[in-house]
Amino acid sequence: MSGGRRKEEPSQPQLANGALKVSVWSKVLRSDAAWEDKDEFLDVIYWFRQIIAVVLGVIWGVLPLRGFLGIAGFCLINAGVLYVYFSNYLQIDEEEYGGTWELTKEGFMTSFALFMVSVTENATAGCHLDHLLHCHPL
Amino acid sequence: MSTMFADTLLIVFISVCTALLAEGITWVLVYRTDKYKRLKAEVEKQSKKLEKKKETITESAGRQQKKKIERQEEKLKNNNRDLSMVRFVSLLKITVLCSFLFRFDGRVVAKLPFTPLSYIQGLSHRNLLGDDTTDCSFIFLYILCTMSIRQNIQKILGLAPSRAATKQAGGFLGPPPPSGKFS
Repeated sequence: MSGGRRKEEPSQPQLANGALKVSVWSKVLRSDAAWEDKDEFLDVIYWFRQIIAVVLGVIWGVLPLRGFLGIAGFCLINAGVLYVYFSNYLQIDEEEYGGTWELTKEGFMTSFALFMVSVTENATAGCHLDHLLHCHPL
Repeated sequence: MSTMFADTLLIVFISVCTALLAEGITWVLVYRTDKYKRLKAEVEKQSKKLEKKKETITESAGRQQKKKIERQEEKLKNNNRDLSMVRFVSLLKITVLCSFLFRFDGRVVAKLPFTPLSYIQGLSHRNLLGDDTTDCSFIFLYILCTMSIRQNIQKILGLAPSRAATKQAGGFLGPPPPSGKFS
């Protein structure tokens, strides 16, 4: 399968500055989708990172996976999953978007902050549950 | 412990509300004004023009051309600053108001799943008693919530600046820089 652009598609309208219409998400899992609008694709990467951040925050909080190992794990998985997605699955030409680093840092800090909130919430919930079970054993 | 969990949820809720409130106030005072719309359009246009110019400029381009680009960059940076200070100030005012309305001083509002670095502990363990550095203070959690939630709310509402404008303003690893003074 060749990288970059494939068949022509009418460009999908998107809401201003970052919100995505439902039709965009229908392209997300299609490896042969064409991404004429660069901002649209970058928004998809951005929102994928936020979703990964919330999901990993829940998992890390439930496990629980603590310490900087947890944070490092998040960074690696966040960067790695998206890299595999745009590089191997979609076979996007990274140079069109400024290189792999530009794609990697798209929304990264916001997703990191969201991960921290998510994992803290779940870690606190975990402590709360432990406390309840300890004080009120079944 | 149950109070702590309730506090955590409350702070996330407060962050969502303050982000929405800040954006709402900024929309009323700034976003819907003609001056802001003109300035924003100008910044977007300049950013895209500058980006295109930078792509086409060659090594052998004259000094004058490069100076012209630098002047345009400087003008753009100033315009970006002009676009964003009100946002930051309105959020700051609401944050200060919240800290007076919701008294979390000295209360552990969450448990961090890690021990923060020493220079962050000044913030994460602010005004808390005890030596447990995984105790989280209101301000640390609130800052984390604001960084994540506000950014996403701006994007959902379509109020975030464009990537071209952010790039020219020199954002670092994602979030756009705080706004400049705008009246």
